[in-house]
Amino acid sequence: MASYKPTNIPVYPKLGEKVTEETLYWKNYKTPIQIKEFGAVSNIHFSPVTPYNFAVTAFTRIHLYGLLSQEPVKTFTRFKDTAYCGRFRSDGQLLVAGCEDSVVRLFDVSGKVALRMFKGHTKAVHVTDFTSDRYQILTGSDDYTCCLWDIPNSAQLNTYQEHTDYIRCGVTSQLNRDLFVTGSYDHSLKVFDARVDKSVMTINHGHPVESLLLYPSEGLLVSAGGRYVRVWDLLKGGQPLVSLKNHHKTVTCLALSSNGQRLLSGSLDRHVKVYNTTSYKVVHNFDYPAAILSLALAPEDESIVVGMTNSILSIKHRKPSEEAKETAGHQRRRPSYRVYAHRKSYVPKQDDYLVSKPVRQHLAKYDKQLKKFNVSKALDTALETWIRGRKPEITVAVIRELDRRGTLKNALAGRDEQELSRLLSFLIANLVDARFAPVLITAAEMILDIYQSIIGQSPVVDKQLLHLQSLLERELDYQKDLLEVLGMLDTMFASSLPKIELPCSGISTSNGLPQGQSTDVIFPYNKMQSRVFE
Amino acid sequence: MASDGGSSSLQLPCVFSPKSRQYLAVCAQDGRLRIWNTDSKTINQEYVPSAHLSATCTCIAWGPCRTVKEGPQRKKRKSEAVQVEEKADLLAMGTAAGSVLLYSTAKGTLHCSLDEAHSAGVNCVHWHPEDSVLYSGSDDTNIVEWDLQSGKMRSKWKADRAAVTSLCVSPDGKLLLSAGHVIKMWDLDTKELYRKFTGHSTAVTTLRFATTRPPDSNGLYFVSGAAHDRLISVWQVREDGKDKNSVVSFTLTDEPRHVDLVPSNSKEEAVRLAVVCQDGQLHLFEHFLNGPCKKPFSPSCSVQMADTRESPMPIPMLAAVLGRDSRSVLLAYGNHLQPVIEQVEVNTTERHVCLSRDVKTSLSLTMESTVSKVKTPVVNTKSKVLVPGLPGHQAPLKGSHLEKASEKRKKDTKEMSIAEQLGEIDLSATSSEKVKASLQTDNYAVLLVQGLESNDADILNKVLQTRKEMVIKKTVARLPLSAVLPLVKELTNRLQGHPFAGILMVRWLKAVLMHHTSYLASLPDLVTELGVLYHMIESRVKMFHKLTKLHGKLYLLMTHVATSDSSNMVSEVDHTAKLVYEDESSDENEASGDEVLPEEDSDHWEEEEGMEEDKQSSEEEDEGNRTEPKANGEEDMEHENESEEE
Repeated sequence: MASYKPTNIPVYPKLGEKVTEETLYWKNYKTPIQIKEFGAVSNIHFSPVTPYNFAVTAFTRIHLYGLLSQEPVKTFTRFKDTAYCGRFRSDGQLLVAGCEDSVVRLFDVSGKVALRMFKGHTKAVHVTDFTSDRYQILTGSDDYTCCLWDIPNSAQLNTYQEHTDYIRCGVTSQLNRDLFVTGSYDHSLKVFDARVDKSVMTINHGHPVESLLLYPSEGLLVSAGGRYVRVWDLLKGGQPLVSLKNHHKTVTCLALSSNGQRLLSGSLDRHVKVYNTTSYKVVHNFDYPAAILSLALAPEDESIVVGMTNSILSIKHRKPSEEAKETAGHQRRRPSYRVYAHRKSYVPKQDDYLVSKPVRQHLAKYDKQLKKFNVSKALDTALETWIRGRKPEITVAVIRELDRRGTLKNALAGRDEQELSRLLSFLIANLVDARFAPVLITAAEMILDIYQSIIGQSPVVDKQLLHLQSLLERELDYQKDLLEVLGMLDTMFASSLPKIELPCSGISTSNGLPQGQSTDVIFPYNKMQSRVFE
Repeated sequence: MASDGGSSSLQLPCVFSPKSRQYLAVCAQDGRLRIWNTDSKTINQEYVPSAHLSATCTCIAWGPCRTVKEGPQRKKRKSEAVQVEEKADLLAMGTAAGSVLLYSTAKGTLHCSLDEAHSAGVNCVHWHPEDSVLYSGSDDTNIVEWDLQSGKMRSKWKADRAAVTSLCVSPDGKLLLSAGHVIKMWDLDTKELYRKFTGHSTAVTTLRFATTRPPDSNGLYFVSGAAHDRLISVWQVREDGKDKNSVVSFTLTDEPRHVDLVPSNSKEEAVRLAVVCQDGQLHLFEHFLNGPCKKPFSPSCSVQMADTRESPMPIPMLAAVLGRDSRSVLLAYGNHLQPVIEQVEVNTTERHVCLSRDVKTSLSLTMESTVSKVKTPVVNTKSKVLVPGLPGHQAPLKGSHLEKASEKRKKDTKEMSIAEQLGEIDLSATSSEKVKASLQTDNYAVLLVQGLESNDADILNKVLQTRKEMVIKKTVARLPLSAVLPLVKELTNRLQGHPFAGILMVRWLKAVLMHHTSYLASLPDLVTELGVLYHMIESRVKMFHKLTKLHGKLYLLMTHVATSDSSNMVSEVDHTAKLVYEDESSDENEASGDEVLPEEDSDHWEEEEGMEEDKQSSEEEDEGNRTEPKANGEEDMEHENESEEE
């Protein structure tokens, strides 16, 4: 039994930027929520425990936002001057922040007044963090020193005076309670061990260091400063692994996606770049309206929060995933499934003779029409606004199928002004597309043949034909230029590859010659390319 | 009215003299005090405090206007210039060193200096409305009351735990408001704390009394504005002391910088408020103070100012005072060194007003006509101007004086925001045309490299959409080699798609291939690098032959129709009817539009016939459609052919 064979819709390679899984993943965010803060947003930090509130440090305040709230759920305002670096402890109970007035304050997340004040620095404190044992605090200040403090009795445990410029970033190790790394404007990163009185490792970044990041495994350290993001191997004694230069202004912040597979960097050039941590290639790029100062990712990458110099906080939430929607759909369908469940659960026994039921072929609308030989209607269906705009390849495939059957002329003929203008606008939109040109040019010629007698009678159609003509004119000019470029490339290839010298030199003069000749000539290159690209 | 300078050093004091608004006192970045006459719009006096660089002026306040009747000490001075009218004379300036200077505009010199009371910078000074008493608040948390008769400190008390950033004396002279983060109201007779108002989390920069009524009737209101706060709050001083929160607030677009207020004297009179914000906008409010309101009020009118260039840039306002009637406003705008003063009638029925002013010309005019002391820097013709750019690409500039060139230059750079910024730097030295072109391409090259590095679509679009052949060539020539391949890749992406965009990209591509031939040819993996490009171009030009033919066909048809259009009309009446057969919607248009028949009757008849035919035909077609499921393609074709032949 011969069945109808549906129209083959060829899959064309996508133009422009390659759509990878990465881009799909990172594009799957809603439009950002923008919140105006009181000043430049200098730091964002996510609480490590549910409900994953995040602390936003801007000017003299720290706001706590819930993951989905647009209003701060809590505000810390007890700062005399600009606050810096509000960070949660690993249990999410305490929050520490530095301040321009050199006092470090420790807050209970549910309270309002500072639990402890650590006084001892002489200048602004830009770096604060908890050690992994939760009982100590690391601070780094503009007075070139970094200190360890004991939380219970707010005593200063240790002071390190090794940097020779402002300390602007630092992280503590999550695996070892004694290790921490600081980065300074003196271009250096220093790894300290609290058990020893001096740094155990010094790495030169080459630019004032703005941000630091430790991988969860803590074998790798990422530093950002100047236009560079650099990755260092700590286990090999600070050996440089990669240097990334993908920003054109200073990189100010770093973040790691929750599974540790992607690294994000934000910069004053208004971009956030996403890197693959195996190849260290940029896999995605976000644009923001102003210079970026801080960046944080929610657990599971549920949202991206970015703070900018124009005091705007931008929060992007991930769209609910497809799976969630599907499961919801399943739940709705379940009752009807139950009705038939007992029949389907029948397991054939050994002696049973199975007769397979023919699977009903599902045909698209245009295929149904084609199957019934309604050529005009098939074309109409394929020209529906949605298909025409979103999937021109379907329309083109239908036209090609009609052409193959030899009934394209019938399908095109006998149309009124509205339909004709729809056809023409489709041609105008897609005729210059190299993928569709061969099919559409035939169609265009047929349309001209059929309707040449009525040209000049409808202003709408005439206008479109004029438009088409000017488009063709442009395209021809363009292709003429392209042919010239082709000639240049020919010469260049010829000079770089002396092996294929003879045919090439003959050809490069034959620009604009009919198709047959030029393909012959270019053949060797094609071969070469296919070797290269496959 | 005095403006309280505020704690931030960025805020430069800028105050109009009270009552007649005759003077505008501005203390600019250079620490000089300049007093502008608002009538003649010229500079009246300039005073350089001896320590203008070390102890900059942080706040200015005009003393109350005085007539001849006033206190004996000042009467002497006044008698020098015998004037019956009230005139602003004394000006108090607080400095960052902690001293207060009194400047007399009548004498044109320093009147006296009040020292040794504050240990830190003075944040605000305020005059008592009647007595010759001055109050000053400082970073050292104290308020000092000065007796100006003797020039000595009368009393001093600690007002707050933090710095005192703002002061205001009530119109009746009995109460004093002071503020750090907390606003406090003092009884001036006893120097005791009367009330406390909390609510601001940052330093309060502005305090003003909004009503002149006595405090016993619940009718005393005042307004406050704080640093980094986009609100002006109104507070009510209630008799029962239950005045915890602000009663009304007005929203602004940025923190307030200069506030002017016309107080209301009775309940029926509205308070008018003019607030100049940090972002240079002016907001006007009008409100009847009658109890609390939860919702913040938005301005009744917002005024912005822009220059007259083709892409207007906002001009920041410095200060504004309200006139007698509700519409007139005296504005000072521009920069602090050369403020422009203008009386403006604002159409308050509009919510947003944008005024455009040509600042540059007015600025230069005042420079030449009034200030002879100002030296204009002489640009040495031999000097080099260094412009940010790629090292090794800096073109030396020759100073010349071609005004036209500079004008053109503006037009050139207008399309690029970043290029414009780069361009602004060397605007001072006008350059000749040739040098200019090269400079510009230098900017473009830098931009292009930046754009390629960070893959910034904005920058790339702006650079790559240049139409000038010359600019393209020079940019490509200046491009560092490392950026060539990324550029080719970017161009490859952009070549696909519409010919309108593509044609520009081809120019770039050609320029790249031309300039970097040898570099590209020397690449070992040239085929890999350029293969995609080659392949893409090849597939695109495959249809060149057919397209050309199609274009020829179309061209012939279109020109043919264009020429024979009018002549065909009369003879083709029948033919039109045939078209009507197919066209349902537009037959009327065509029949009436195309036919130029002299007899109107026949025309109508023609049309009617057409309509009838049309109906018939549509019926026929419907039938055809209904039968179509059975019919095959051939029938369909026949049907169409029939309709065509008809």
